[in-house]
This record gives sequence, structure tokens and C-alpha cells, in this order.
Amino acid sequence: MSQFKNIVSLSFRDYSHEWRMSGCFVLALASVLAPMMILFGLKFGIVSSMINDLVQNPENREIRAVGSGRYLDDWFVEYAKREDVAFIIPKTRALAATIQLKSKTAGRIFSTELLATADGDPVLEMAPRKPSGFNEVILSESIANKLDVRKGEQIDGSLARQFNGKRERVHVELNVIDVMPDHVIDRKIAFVSLDLLLATESFKDGRAVPRLGWTGDDARGLDREYPSFRLYTRSIFDVAPLVAELEDQGVNVKANLAQINTVQSIDRNLTIIFWIIACVGAVGFSFSLGASLWANVDRKHKELSILRLVGFQGGKIVLFPVMQSLYTGMLGWLLAVLIYLMAEQSINQLLAPSLQIERVICYLQPAHFFWALALTLTVAATAAVLGGVRASRIEPSDGLRDI
Amino acid sequence: MSIIYSLRNVVKSRLVDGAGFRLNVPSVDIRAEENIALVGHSGCGKSTLLDMLAMVLHPDSAEQFTITPRDGQSTDLALLWQKKKRNHLSMLRKQHVGYVLQQGGLLPYLTVRENIELPRKLMDMPEDDSTRSLARVMGIHRQLDKLPGLLSAGERQRVAFTRALSHRPSILLADEPTASLDPITARKIMAVVMELVKGLKITMITASHDWAHVYKMDLRSLHQEAAVVENGNVYQSTFRD
Repeated sequence: MSQFKNIVSLSFRDYSHEWRMSGCFVLALASVLAPMMILFGLKFGIVSSMINDLVQNPENREIRAVGSGRYLDDWFVEYAKREDVAFIIPKTRALAATIQLKSKTAGRIFSTELLATADGDPVLEMAPRKPSGFNEVILSESIANKLDVRKGEQIDGSLARQFNGKRERVHVELNVIDVMPDHVIDRKIAFVSLDLLLATESFKDGRAVPRLGWTGDDARGLDREYPSFRLYTRSIFDVAPLVAELEDQGVNVKANLAQINTVQSIDRNLTIIFWIIACVGAVGFSFSLGASLWANVDRKHKELSILRLVGFQGGKIVLFPVMQSLYTGMLGWLLAVLIYLMAEQSINQLLAPSLQIERVICYLQPAHFFWALALTLTVAATAAVLGGVRASRIEPSDGLRDI
Repeated sequence: MSIIYSLRNVVKSRLVDGAGFRLNVPSVDIRAEENIALVGHSGCGKSTLLDMLAMVLHPDSAEQFTITPRDGQSTDLALLWQKKKRNHLSMLRKQHVGYVLQQGGLLPYLTVRENIELPRKLMDMPEDDSTRSLARVMGIHRQLDKLPGLLSAGERQRVAFTRALSHRPSILLADEPTASLDPITARKIMAVVMELVKGLKITMITASHDWAHVYKMDLRSLHQEAAVVENGNVYQSTFRD
């Protein structure tokens, strides 16, 4: 025990006495480790999030019905429950799903496509709240600009029909609860609740909507049938199997399968490339660190011999270079983390504005720092143990008279 | 006086392809508190013999190689080497041997005081003023808080002797301790050491080729002879009583 304590304290005294040499080892370690950390920071930052965007992009996860079908509520309930389906919602006939929008500030009336939405709609992921009831709407940026309205303002929606030989028009007041930017949806769309979409269809079909005070034929007792749907899978990997399954059932669908293939192969290839870089980097780092620490043990040969001459046991002597390697590993890692954090800050602050994105470009999780430390200390200790055991096996008298 | 080292037919060779050097000790007995000089020219195997006595170099073969330090416990060193009992050898070395090298062998990162106290610390000996009084006798008490790098060669050798004696070993081994010093300094240091060794009842074995004649009266020299044997391939050096 006293030998152990003495060795640890002696190894530290030597390490700090030789601070120039120790500093060189620390610098050498950090200068290999820091760039590797920055590389991984970029991988986990910008590259991952770009790949993730492609993988998560709703456009790539969408399955669209082609033509017109007859889907009942039960069918939607069944599909909504499935593991591979993230979101599904009915669509009405295209002709029935249009509304005329008018604002106070714009001179024109714009005929706009209506889409039903609900909680969980991947297209509206950015919107904290989805339209509900009959008086809320989320507009795409392009239509909001034409109408010259912003979030929180009110617009007028109106519908027209020929009923019993008369032309009728009804109005509904709509609160704009959100506006979706172009990169989310680039068409002129008004997202509303399913209730409002169905009310619109009822009105155009000449049926009554008592809740809005719209008159017409009594529609009670009729089963709702939907001609189409909007469906999003959980990930792009679910698209192809689900398309095949739906087509087996006779449902005619379309999806961005070509685009999905491209994204999948980019994802796969980038992952392979990063693993290659990671392995080459880790092996190179291990060899460079191992070699310098091994060389350090050889350099310490005489002093280790003197310690043995004074009476330290050979086995305990191994601790001397091992402790020094651990100091180097620890300090080198600390320095590398500092360099990395400075680089991360600079990269994120300097590049983010020019790339016009809000996400971080360079990023590492706390676990990554831990793994870097674990790798460093393992390599450091292994190299020193190998060198130290060799030194302890050599007869102490051999090192005593080295010049 | 009891016998502290007893060697019979101890052989150590340094041969490459059958040619080289061989040290041969047919019979040497060193008694406790004796003061031995290994006299001979460079390369005659003085350091090799000292290293074997210090238990840092293993003999190739030995009919008998025992150490019997002050505590009276006799140990067969040849057997310990044969059985690779390195920790046992370390322990004996730590307790009973102080070794002074030609170039000091001080640890550059420890102060003079810490260097001197290292053997005591290893043996868990208490901290007392023995370091200070020993340092005063050796004339280095003003240097205790300096690093060895700041000392002169003579001062460094004084520190090396002080370290070798700090834990009160039975045996002091010194390998050309004054070879790098001027004769006057060398004589001054050795005079103090001889006094100390006598007072502390320590067995001293010194390899030397320059100053031993000064203390002829107090020293016993081992006889050394050299011969070229085995068709001129092996230079054989023999030490005897």
C-alpha cells in the first residue's frame, strides 16, 4: 500500500517536474483527438439532421390515393391504429374542397383548396395548435401573402352552390391561428378541421348543416363515405411495404418511391463512410498515442531502474508509466474537449446565419465526450502497461548505467 | 564477526557468440562491518560484482551465494533468483542495502530531502531529525530543499551517500562513487563516509581505482586477476579473498 501511494505520488512529481515534455504529450494527444471530435460533431450535427430531415420529410412519407374510392370511417380507424401509420385523415372530392377567401386588406377573393387536418399531422408539425371547430384555419404562406394576413387576424370564407334552381352563398368567419412557411408547404392551402371540411362538402351537395345554420336536405341516417385520404407512414422505410399492401387490397396509390430509394442509399452510404472514418481515426489515434507513450516508458528506463534499486517491486513499478499515461490521457482529453467546444461555438455561430437554418451544425452528446475519454484512457493505459511490463522484466541493473 | 556475504563459484558471463567477458568468484567471504575495496582497472567486472551483491543482477550459476544481514537471517540469493522471487529480492534490497552509483542516481524531480527520505518512506520509517543530522554530517544540510539539478557533482555524491545510509542499511555498496570528482573533493567525501560507516557499523564494499591507496590501513582489497581463456575468445576476471 505504501509502495502504491509512493509510486502514484512520485509519478505525479516527475510528470509535473517535466512539464514541458508532459505538455508536448498532452498537445500531441489533443491535436489528434480534437479534429476527430469536430468531425464527429459535424456528423451528429448537420449531417445527421439533414439525413433526418430527408428521412422524416412528410413529402417522402406520404401515400396518396389515386382516383376516387369509397372509404368508410371504420377503414380509417383501422389504419390509424397501425404501427407503421403516423397519420391518416379523409379527403373529400376536390371540387367540394374549395373555399373562397377574402380579407379586409386584399382587394381580391381567392379560391383556395381546403385540407382537413388534426393533431399529429406531420405537415403541420411546426404548428403548436391545430384548427378545431368551424372557425379556425391555418394558411400556407403563399395564400396568406396574397390575402395580406398574418397569424391572429380574421378572414372571411364563403361557399356557393346551386340549390333548387337558386344560387346560394354562405359565409364563415375564420381565425388565422397559424401560417406555415413555404418550405413546409408551397401550395395555396387552407387547413381546417375535418368537421368544417365535411360541412363544406355537405353544403355543396345540397345538404343541411344545422350547426352552422345552413339549410338543405336532411342528411341524417346516411353513412359517410370518403373518396380519398391523406396518409403518412412513421418513416420512409414503411412506405414501400404499405404501398404494396394497399395495392393488394385494390387501393390505387402513389408515393415518392424513387426519392425514397435515393434518400435510403444516401443514408446508408454516409453511415458507411462515417464508420470508415471513425475506425481509421480511432486506429490512427490509438497508434499515435500508444507509440508516444510506449516511447516515454523507454525514456524513463533509467529512473525506473533507480526506483527498483531503492527497493520498489517490479510489478508496482509498472504503475509509474501507467499513471503518467493516464495523466496525459486525462489532460489531453480535457484540452481536446476545450478545443472542440471553441470550434463548436465558432462553427455554429459563424456558419449558421450563412446557411440560413436554425438547427445546430456541430453537436456532440455528453455520452460522446465520455466515449472519447474512455477510448483515450484505455489506449493510454494499455500502451503504458505493455511498455511498463517490458521495463519491469528487464533486470534493474541494465538501466542503471545508461547514458 | 559473522559473515555477511558468502560466495562460492559464482559466475556471470556476458558472451556474444561464445566471445566476451566472464566474471568468476571462486571463493569470497565478507564479514560484517568489513570495509572492502574492489580494486582493478575499468572493465574488470567490479560493477558486475557489485550489482550481484546489490541483488539487481542475477548470477549465471552459483554453488553458494548467501546474504546474512544484521538481523541474522541467512538467505540463499542464488535460490531466490532461480525461483524468480523478485519481490523477495526487492524487499531484501530495500531493507539491507544502500547503493551509490558513479553518477549519483538521484531522482531529478524530488528535492534533496525527498531523495534522502525515499528509502525511509518505503520502509514506513517515522519522520525524525535523523535526515537532518545525517545531512549535517555529510555537509549538505543547506541544500535539503533544492532539486538535485542545482547541485555540484560533489554535492550530488554527498546526497547519494546520504540517501544510501538514511534507512540504516547493513550494507553500503558504492560503484566508483568519486570517479567524476576532483581528488581533493573525493578524499574529503570519502573521509566522512568512512567515519560514518564505522560509527553505524555498516559493511561497506566500494569499487574504486583511485583513492583506495589512501586508506590502505582500513581497507581489505579483494584480489583480482585477469586472463584470456578459451582460445582468446573470453576475457575472464577472477576475484578472490
